[in-house]
Amino acid sequence: MNDVKMERFKYDDELTKLFIFATVIWGFVALLLGVTVAFQLASWKVNMGLEWSTFGRLRPLHTNAAIFAFVGNAMFAGIYYSTQRLTKSRLFSDVLGRIHFWGWQLIIVAAAISLPLGFTTGKEYAELEWPIDIAIAVIWVVFAINFFGTLVKRREKHLYVALWFYIATIVTVTVLHVVNSIAFPVDFMKSYPVYAGIQDALVQWWYGHNAVAFFLTTPFLGIMYYFIPKAANRPVYSYRLSIIHFWSLVFLYIWAGPHHLLYTSVPDWVQTTAMVFSVMLWMPSWGGMINGLLTLRGAWDKVRTDPVLKFMATSVTFYGMATFEGPLLAIKSINGMAHYTDWIVGHVHSGTIGWNYMIISGMLYYLVPKMWNTTLYSVKMANAQFWLATIGLLLYMMSMWTAGITQALMWRAIDETGKLVYPNFIETVVRIVPMYWVRAFGGVLILAGFILMMYNLWLTIKKSKGLEEQEYMAPAMEKVTSEVNQTAHRKLEGLPTLFTVLTTIAILVGGIIEITPSLISDTFVERDSEIKPYSPLEIAGRDIFIKEGCYVCHSQQIRPMPDEALRYGPPSTAAESVYDRPFQWGSRRIGPDLARVGGKYNDMWHFRHMYDPREVTPKSIMPEYTWLFKKKFEIKTLPKKIKVMTALGVPYTDHQIKNTVLLAQKQAFEITKGLNVDGVDMKMQNKEIIALIAYLQRLGVDGARSRELKKQVRSEQ
Amino acid sequence: MSDKNDKNDKNDKNEKLHVLEDEKALLIDHSYDGIHELNHPLPSWWMWTWSATILYSIFYFIFYHMVGGPNLTQEFEKDMIRLNEIKAIAAADVSNFDIEHYNTWKKTNDSLKIGKEVYEENCISCHAEAGGGDIGPNLTDAYWINVKERTATALFPVIRDGVEDNGMPAWGEIISKEEMYAAMAYIVSLKGTTPPEAKEAQGEKVEEF
Ligand code: HEC
Ligand code: HEC
Repeated sequence: MNDVKMERFKYDDELTKLFIFATVIWGFVALLLGVTVAFQLASWKVNMGLEWSTFGRLRPLHTNAAIFAFVGNAMFAGIYYSTQRLTKSRLFSDVLGRIHFWGWQLIIVAAAISLPLGFTTGKEYAELEWPIDIAIAVIWVVFAINFFGTLVKRREKHLYVALWFYIATIVTVTVLHVVNSIAFPVDFMKSYPVYAGIQDALVQWWYGHNAVAFFLTTPFLGIMYYFIPKAANRPVYSYRLSIIHFWSLVFLYIWAGPHHLLYTSVPDWVQTTAMVFSVMLWMPSWGGMINGLLTLRGAWDKVRTDPVLKFMATSVTFYGMATFEGPLLAIKSINGMAHYTDWIVGHVHSGTIGWNYMIISGMLYYLVPKMWNTTLYSVKMANAQFWLATIGLLLYMMSMWTAGITQALMWRAIDETGKLVYPNFIETVVRIVPMYWVRAFGGVLILAGFILMMYNLWLTIKKSKGLEEQEYMAPAMEKVTSEVNQTAHRKLEGLPTLFTVLTTIAILVGGIIEITPSLISDTFVERDSEIKPYSPLEIAGRDIFIKEGCYVCHSQQIRPMPDEALRYGPPSTAAESVYDRPFQWGSRRIGPDLARVGGKYNDMWHFRHMYDPREVTPKSIMPEYTWLFKKKFEIKTLPKKIKVMTALGVPYTDHQIKNTVLLAQKQAFEITKGLNVDGVDMKMQNKEIIALIAYLQRLGVDGARSRELKKQVRSEQ
Repeated sequence: MSDKNDKNDKNDKNEKLHVLEDEKALLIDHSYDGIHELNHPLPSWWMWTWSATILYSIFYFIFYHMVGGPNLTQEFEKDMIRLNEIKAIAAADVSNFDIEHYNTWKKTNDSLKIGKEVYEENCISCHAEAGGGDIGPNLTDAYWINVKERTATALFPVIRDGVEDNGMPAWGEIISKEEMYAAMAYIVSLKGTTPPEAKEAQGEKVEEF
């Protein structure tokens, strides 16, 4: 080995720097948006009365910015930096790296423009419309080529555990994104998913949950495995644990997706499977935490003084907390209480702020001084950020626990005569509004901390006295090495292709077993001939519902629980959403469930409520939708929409397909005529509000008729 | 794979790996960019807890999906039966008024006929023939002392608790709930009739429904 030839090479660190800049800028934007939407729930006036700035449109922008812009860019920075060093090889291609960077930023800009304008698929964390989805897929493939290309060029035979996690990330995100985004375009910025109802729900939450797993978690476990030992100069605690927790994590995670759908109309066995796999996931997740924290054994004095380690240790601790809370929330009875409440919102943020924001901050404090060849401008300022973020996050989590549990208890409170104690939903909202103020204040602290970091990093870079690009040396990888005495896994670490194939198999199993039965078989959706497709006008109204993001505040799925039956009506059935493309079951009830709102009020109630919710429900926190009374609903695209729906298998009649426009106009006329009695001008008949009312009044109506018929049949027998 | 390569990284030159005494034997002989790994055994509490979650999961699945544990719909139906029992008990209890219970009773019984009987047996002495009023006020007109609307929901507590200071007995202690229902149905039906020798209006004019 002594006479091996050394090769000289440099790393592409300029690319990492670009991603660092993007991380910091988008991080600021994402947090600012988060604070904005937090204040919108505390005071409805912060919706600013504009269609582009209501909660329904900004919340998706906030989540997309946080996940894909902030965390995404940070992930790429960390992966590109560490992968080059772990493989002792420059990136496969500088050009692909630039395409990746600029392509990703363009996608973010496209999202930032299209989401406020109301272009959305209405699927959480996958809201971007199909042209942007295609761009994401392309750029992701560019990333994959660049990453795997680098592995091919590597000078280090074996892959370190960080790289295993990167492989899992790249493979799984590709699968998730592609499968979940398959849709039929109607026009350039509108499409309908190929899945409907419970199928769409299953695919969507398989995606949604595993986006958390493989976008927010696994890449950062890799980053943890690189930066913690580097910053602490400590060996990783347990190689054996790395192996066990890596494979169990990637295998088990996928199965847990439907725990977002407990008590819904997806099949019972899928719900149970999701629950038990979530419980079994607890220890594998903690394997990562143990390896992170115990690597710091004997370095705790450094954790106290070094901002890098302080942020990283805290982030791993929050990771442990969140991965305990997750399985807990997946237990059916606990989920029955916590689901649809702010508890879940708190849980998400203990992950995204506690884990991602903290580890990213630690990583930036490590990378910026190192890459600009200087020292951190101010440790004090970094400490100040640490406390602002920690206190802000604790306020966030505690206010959301309180709000979630308070509201859940109020929803389900039934008195001794069998009646709801709080039959008016708004009472349960008013009670938790103070918690919304506390949460917003916590958010301000977290944002303030971030701004301090931006300033600190900026001064650090300014203080840099220029850099000399470093050259590295390493021998080329030996092509043939005998590994007779090595363990099987050790051998596998030298075979990236096989490793990737096995990882792919591990992540596919769960999804295939849980989802495909519902995709290919009708056994899980009992047929119900009374459930009819939406009329053309109702489709137009439904698209307005999706466009305005009503689903971020309203669920459409009544769970089989006595209090829900009293408040909303009988539990939702799978048959009732067979024509829902996309499904709109929602995930949080900031307002009441709407699955059976049709016929609950008259048209005039909705007309007034949408214009000024507080006129009919004092103290409501729902935004005003005044523009729906000015804008005409889209009638030109309706025939195309009905055709696309028909192509997707929705049984529209020939009459409906041929006379789409006429039918829509007729229904709009009828509704407006009814409103006209109360003084509404007939000119309103082509406005969006009329289509929206048509949709709202349809919700649950078919299900009710079906139950009525079944009852009659039963009593006749 | 040796440490030599890593020394090329200038930044790492003077950073020395910090290995504790008790770990030296566990250090694995390879490193990546200066990162070393120990090979601690898996923590036993971790293994045990994980095994416990797996066992729990297996039993949970078997119980609910293989040996006939209740599914969500069955559990819901059980809960609803219990809820409906509570509701029925509460509705039957004299002290509670439930409009649905009242309406169902009215629909399933000849309420006006029973009502007239109850009225003639208990009320006629003070409220006179056909509610015209005598000691007690006229029950046919739009003027009422104790209620703001002429609905069953509003009437029920007055009849049940009476206005004992002014001479109206508390009927909840005397007649059954169904009899009160019947009397109420009868009174509601008297709206707007003008019996002979009706008493003059007393109280406030109420909103008509
Ligand atoms: C910020 C969250 C929020 C958004 C966004 C929102 N709502 Fe609401 N909504 C509420 C709240 C809170 C209530 C309960 C108070 C009230 O009646 O206004 C409510 C009530 C309702 C109700 C009455 C439900 C019932 O059973 O009483 C309807 C219908 C409704 N919203 C429709 C919509 C539609 C349509 C949209 C989208 C255009 C929308 N909401 C957007 C929060 C929201
Ligand atoms: C012993 C005499 C007496 C009998 C018997 C009697 N009431 Fe009365 N009732 C009164 C008096 C007196 C009032 C007026 C109370 C007041 O001034 O607040 C009254 C008031 C009422 C009122 C409220 C009227 C108002 O304007 O607020 C109702 C309803 C009523 N009675 C129903 C009945 C019914 C039903 C019965 C038979 C089951 C009945 N009463 C039997 C004396 C009687």
